[in-house]
Amino acid sequence: MKFSDILIKFAFFLEGSTKYQKIKLFFKNLLENESFPYKKYFDYFMIFLVLSSVAILIEEVRNPIDKILYIYDVYFVTTFFLIEYILRFWVYNDSHKIIIEEFETSAFLEKEFDTKRVVKEIFKKKFEYITSPLAIIDLLAILPSYREFGILRIFILFRIFKLIRYSHTITQFFEVLKSKKVELYTLLFFVAFVVFVSGVSIYVFEEKQNPNISTLFDALYWALVTMSTVGFGDITPVTQEGRAITLIIIVVGVGLISFATSIIVSAFSEKMDEIKIDRVLYKIKDLENFYIICGYTNLSSLLAEKLQREDENFVIIDSDEEKVSEAQSNGYLAYNADASNQETFKTFDFEKVKAVLILTKKEIHNIYICLNIRSFSKDVFLISIASDKISEKKLKLAGANYLISPHEFAGMFASKVLEQPYVITAVNDILMARKNALCEQIEVLAGSFLENKTIEEIDIEKYKLVLFGVLRGVEVDLKSKELKREFFFNPDKDFVILKSDILIVMGYSISIRYFRKLITESSIKDG
Amino acid sequence: MANKKEKILIFGYGKYGQFVAKDLRLKNYDVYIAEYNKRNIKRANEDGFNKVILVDIENDNELLQILYDNGFKKIFCVLDNEEENVYLTITFKAIIEDIEVISICESRKSERKLRLAGVNKVIDIIELAANRLFFLLEKPAVTYALDEIFFNDPNILFEKIVIPKNSFLDGVNINEIDFRKYKIIVIGVVDRELGDRFIFITKGIKHKLDAEDILIITGKQDDIKSFKTKLNESTK
Repeated sequence: MKFSDILIKFAFFLEGSTKYQKIKLFFKNLLENESFPYKKYFDYFMIFLVLSSVAILIEEVRNPIDKILYIYDVYFVTTFFLIEYILRFWVYNDSHKIIIEEFETSAFLEKEFDTKRVVKEIFKKKFEYITSPLAIIDLLAILPSYREFGILRIFILFRIFKLIRYSHTITQFFEVLKSKKVELYTLLFFVAFVVFVSGVSIYVFEEKQNPNISTLFDALYWALVTMSTVGFGDITPVTQEGRAITLIIIVVGVGLISFATSIIVSAFSEKMDEIKIDRVLYKIKDLENFYIICGYTNLSSLLAEKLQREDENFVIIDSDEEKVSEAQSNGYLAYNADASNQETFKTFDFEKVKAVLILTKKEIHNIYICLNIRSFSKDVFLISIASDKISEKKLKLAGANYLISPHEFAGMFASKVLEQPYVITAVNDILMARKNALCEQIEVLAGSFLENKTIEEIDIEKYKLVLFGVLRGVEVDLKSKELKREFFFNPDKDFVILKSDILIVMGYSISIRYFRKLITESSIKDG
Repeated sequence: MANKKEKILIFGYGKYGQFVAKDLRLKNYDVYIAEYNKRNIKRANEDGFNKVILVDIENDNELLQILYDNGFKKIFCVLDNEEENVYLTITFKAIIEDIEVISICESRKSERKLRLAGVNKVIDIIELAANRLFFLLEKPAVTYALDEIFFNDPNILFEKIVIPKNSFLDGVNINEIDFRKYKIIVIGVVDRELGDRFIFITKGIKHKLDAEDILIITGKQDDIKSFKTKLNESTK
């Protein structure tokens, strides 16, 4: 069998093996996928290894270290680093796919299978990994275990650099700097040029006269120290020529430093928004059962206040930067994005979204957002604001499940204000939970002490609660559409409570909590 | 049409005004509409309102004329522009003291301004909407029940009852009375002795009722009526 045949067979074997795929995916997730639950623990473990190794290095400076620690450092830590390096090398890409691709192309074009090209391609990909900065750091962090070479010990510091891999913040810092790669390279080149020119000149002028400058390295060292405005003063020019050079590099140095500062500052200010959004998205990924609120208006802010008080999770999206920062300063999770844009919701898992509330002031925008969200999820509960009957129709067509019209409230309450002025106060006080009086729904659990009892027997007043009424035959679920429900207002004393009735009560939060606890306990005991 | 209830003047037939007007017409009030926007006037006419007045809200004489001509006691200021509502409120309150002005607001800030201007009642639309949304999301059954109580069942009322002197409630501890017997629910008490403080019944303190204390109650229309009668009869 030819070498190429073995290669192809092997590649197809790997492609067909689910076990291999699974294992590889697991390690890929463990090493590279931020949202993989176990990655966190892996990262913590590696951070521990790094820190312990550095601690041993520091201890070693003054005292000879324990044999166990030595073995731990040299064999245990290094082994893990080595394994990690090999795993990363492995999961970086799928080499067998390159082979399969080449095989398919050659079969399609009826060409000879080009083994050379495939091998070259595989090596190219892996080499790409080996030469990436983080991989180099990883490799250098493994080297110090050869303690026989003293110089290699300095590489132990690269173990600290390994921390970069495990910290989101440090990674981000490098990402920011990356965006100014061209500028930073220019700067570096310029610094190198000036250091070299001035270093060489001072060497030429002062090598004989100045006892402190005996090698070219001394000269270059002096040049950089001077140019950076650090100026230790251990080496100073003694000739006129040397001083003249000094004057020039001082001036150049000041300019270069401000140039460097401005590059880094501008990189950060440019990337700051992105970092902020990144942070928010990062947090959203961790949320379970949350609401999405589109548009930060008066209404949204009041709603957010209430949701926050109940410890509910929610995310606010607004296309106006000012509104977003206002929401953020109130301590809400908010970010700047256009909710009618497809990109905005790409990273969202709508399975975890309890409901989407569309509350922007522009109706056209609301309809558009409705459609946009429906394109991602057919089932998510959608609530939108609507100004009148016609727009209600349009929003329903766009996929909204429930519509709320603040303008209609004006009408709903107008006659109440005239006839029953106390309704408004009562509604407000009850709904806003002012004075700590809450209106709550309490479900009668099967087997609880409420089941099949009359109102008189329960004597709810005993629990310092007021019973407004009983809701029967209700599937209390946002998603259930039309369901037959019946509400019994202030039922008589011989009204019998059945299981899965819902009591609408008012009372202090402590009383309600206590009452709920009693129900749950009694239902468990009997059940 | 059967005898109409009192005359109500509604300023504005915009986003909010139209709903207010339609609701009041439904409840059989004699609705007058004042507007400065011609398009809104046209819409009001189309919706079947015939007492529509074109008005320049910055002309005090014109405003006064409308009030005196018809003898309005209650006015809704429900223009779409909040500033105009505040302006109208302050204008009316400055000229006629005993007129009742009801307005709407969209934020706490403008509620404060309306109060300063002397408005009698404010409907905080946005607050109501926010509450509704919140309850809809977190406590859907409560929402349903309150809708029934407040809006869908015209039989259920909220009322305040001032306790008459020497009635069977005067001087009694509130816990001792079985209000269920009367088929009403007591929500809270405004106590004269405690500086007009509103106390929710569920606070559970042994509260002694006195004459002039105010009970806030809810119940079916007939039950409230009969409770009131019993209360008044007991004074004799």
